[in-house]
Amino acid sequence: MAQKIVIDPLTRIEGHLRIEVEVENGVVKDARSAGMMFRGIEPLMTGRDPRDASYVTERICGVCAGSHGWASSIALDGAFGVNLPPGGRIIRNLILGAQWLHDHPLHFYHLSALDYLDVMAVAKYKGNDVGLNAVKAKIMALVNAGDTAPLTPRYKPDEFSVNDPELVTMAVSHYLQALDMQAKAKKMSAIFAGKQPHQSSIVVGGVTMLPTMGDVDKYASMLEEQIDFIENVYLKDVVTFGTGPLLPLATAGVGGGNGNYMSYGGFEVDNSGSLFFQPGIVMNNDFANPQKIDASKITEDVKWSWYKSASHLQPMVGQTVADVDKAAAYTFLKAPRYNGQAMEVGPMARMLIEGNETLMGLVKKYNIKPGAVARHAARAIECAKLAVAMRGWVDDLKSEMGKGLRIHDTDHWEPPTTGEGVAMIEAPRGSLGHWISIKDQKTANYQMVVPSTWNFSPMDDKDQRGPVEFALIGTPVPDPENPTNVARVVRSYDPCISCAVHLIEPKTNKILKFQIG
Amino acid sequence: MKSPMDLLQAKGVSRRDFVKLMAATTAALGLPLTMQPKVAEAVENAMKKPPVIWLEGQDCAGCSESTLASLNPSAEQLILDMISLRYHETVMAATGDVAKKAFEDTYNEGNYVLIVEGSIPKADDRYCVIGGTPFRQHVMEAASKASAIVAIGACATYGGVVRTTPSQGMGVSEFVKDKPVINLPLCPVKPTTLFGTLVYYLTYKSAPPMDKYNRPLAFFGDLMHDNCPRRGHFDTSEFLQDWNDPSQKEWCLLLKGCKGPQTYSDCGQVWWNDNTSYCIQAGSPCAGCSQPEFYDGFSPLYQKQEGFNTPGINPDTVGKVIGGAAALGVVAHLGAKAINSGKGDDKNKGKGVSK
Repeated sequence: MAQKIVIDPLTRIEGHLRIEVEVENGVVKDARSAGMMFRGIEPLMTGRDPRDASYVTERICGVCAGSHGWASSIALDGAFGVNLPPGGRIIRNLILGAQWLHDHPLHFYHLSALDYLDVMAVAKYKGNDVGLNAVKAKIMALVNAGDTAPLTPRYKPDEFSVNDPELVTMAVSHYLQALDMQAKAKKMSAIFAGKQPHQSSIVVGGVTMLPTMGDVDKYASMLEEQIDFIENVYLKDVVTFGTGPLLPLATAGVGGGNGNYMSYGGFEVDNSGSLFFQPGIVMNNDFANPQKIDASKITEDVKWSWYKSASHLQPMVGQTVADVDKAAAYTFLKAPRYNGQAMEVGPMARMLIEGNETLMGLVKKYNIKPGAVARHAARAIECAKLAVAMRGWVDDLKSEMGKGLRIHDTDHWEPPTTGEGVAMIEAPRGSLGHWISIKDQKTANYQMVVPSTWNFSPMDDKDQRGPVEFALIGTPVPDPENPTNVARVVRSYDPCISCAVHLIEPKTNKILKFQIG
Repeated sequence: MKSPMDLLQAKGVSRRDFVKLMAATTAALGLPLTMQPKVAEAVENAMKKPPVIWLEGQDCAGCSESTLASLNPSAEQLILDMISLRYHETVMAATGDVAKKAFEDTYNEGNYVLIVEGSIPKADDRYCVIGGTPFRQHVMEAASKASAIVAIGACATYGGVVRTTPSQGMGVSEFVKDKPVINLPLCPVKPTTLFGTLVYYLTYKSAPPMDKYNRPLAFFGDLMHDNCPRRGHFDTSEFLQDWNDPSQKEWCLLLKGCKGPQTYSDCGQVWWNDNTSYCIQAGSPCAGCSQPEFYDGFSPLYQKQEGFNTPGINPDTVGKVIGGAAALGVVAHLGAKAINSGKGDDKNKGKGVSK
């Protein structure tokens, strides 16, 4: 007989997520993913100075901080007719790049690792490493004082929990080191951004921060510290765990999705629009035939969402009117679909679409299937790839400084009478779209379709499950009191539910400008 | 008999960690460094790490992220040495029912510090529901047995950006009326203000001196504009118009919409991200995110503020004074100084110069 398990709040994520699964014979048979918080950011912008949008949307998420301000500014650039100077483009990339370097390791160590580690195994560490013994002493002092919060309470360790004292003590020491590194990455971003989270520098037309060579050198030296950590600690840990104690989870493909992957592409790396992350669509695991993105194939359904407006509309003509009394609904998230299909977005989608050699090498060598463990691997691999590429971006900035740096298009600072703009970019959690239309120099309409809305969407009008709901089917849950595998699968997508829930107002204007950046 | 330090060491805090933490927090508190031994002694005597319940409502986790961005004291020192973080959805190991139980156990124990991040939807409880219970109810319940309540960030203090949305997100003090709420605004909270307030509370077992908006005067007592590093350029009427021009780089951001003349915060003195920068240092106008008026009252953010009536400044003439009329700035300077002269008078604090 099926047993219903509710995990609410699902912690160590951004936002408020409720997961319901039905378990039969120790395996998930059905699943529902529900976003439980609603603010309604978009209508706030209607009728205001369009330039406010980059500041306001920045506040949608404090974790992928910068992503929304960046997307918004790209959409505004289009609507204002901005010619973004190279310096503005590069500094935006450096602000965001540093945020990604903070975001991915934080997700692995601080949001996910506690699902896989039996932290208390450090008590059994017998080695001679000075650093690891210090970590052991630190944790044991907490244990002896009878207060190990926030490391406990927790689900009981299970068959996949790593309890090798050497490995666990090393991982805990890296958990603590990563706390420092994520703070340093935010600091690095703040050199150009003003502060992090919630940078102030990215505005329509470019950025506000005209750096000195000293600023750039400081950033460059902090980047080297990050690269060292990402390559020699983060990526190494992910590979060690993924191909070691977690290999059974990895080869079983626990948490595997429906085989549909999407990336809008992101980080313009030169003035001709070349992208660091490749755009593309893969349907049904057909990696040999990746397709080009066609934005007109994106629709959003609301049959199962707390909205009473029309369903199955393209975002550009979408409507959303909240209705918390809608009986059948179970979430504040809508159900975006591409050509009618649920799509996975995020690091694994990006790395699979580009056919990343490092990931493919691991997959082939160890017979790993797409799933929770592969998602962590893809995230670490793209993080290392990005960090190394950022060296080149620093060089590009220095070269622009030699030519007389331009960071802002001053001629297009005042809002136009009318205009429309779109940004379709990649955020750490996946594909992010912002749409704006301007009338009488004010924002007439604003809307967003964000990564976690794709991944954590509910069923659509045809009752097809969302990507995470689908991925949960078949997940082993041997002990209903400790549904750790469910949490592992959900967290592998790095949910950001604050981003995913927002209100979209009716919009009828056509999109004229289309920009991928 | 064990010394207080022995007992602290038993709590997992090394002497070196402790001294470092105290130096940083004494500075964060705005206390003279000579106060450090006293603060250290008081905290040592308190010995027990205070239990903390940290609730997140209509938030973006930006305040959590900002707190974790602290390097001195470090995030590790905060979550392992300084406090006993019993409930924090973004950090805690527990999830689902285990997390709910951690909340209940701490609640039953009582006498914890309650930290609230994110607003509470006034339009309908159902806009924020956690573990099947409306967020408003979580806050009211947790507040009833808290020894101190700290609202962090623009949303939990005065509603911030969310106040003007259809969900009508409001700050904690809109709902909790029977206990004082210490408000630490800014978007997100600045970690130095949170650490400073926690250390003050641990030391004196009471809220720090606050203004009429319940903001600690140590961090929100002074007008940004009076302490702005660009103040000299305001006084000589040098206003930035082109971000590309190196000669304008340090100029006043008034024409770009800066709300510094109406905003009380120590941002100009205590920079963000380990003293790396802050909005104005990065060439961006202050958005006034420490003020109750934020965001709605300060929109449009990037236009010279209308109704900006710092004495001596006429908003209609400011735009015309580029490259001249230095006298105007001097008059304005004197006017603002005169207003700030009531420094010791708490009742004048936080009023701003605008309304």
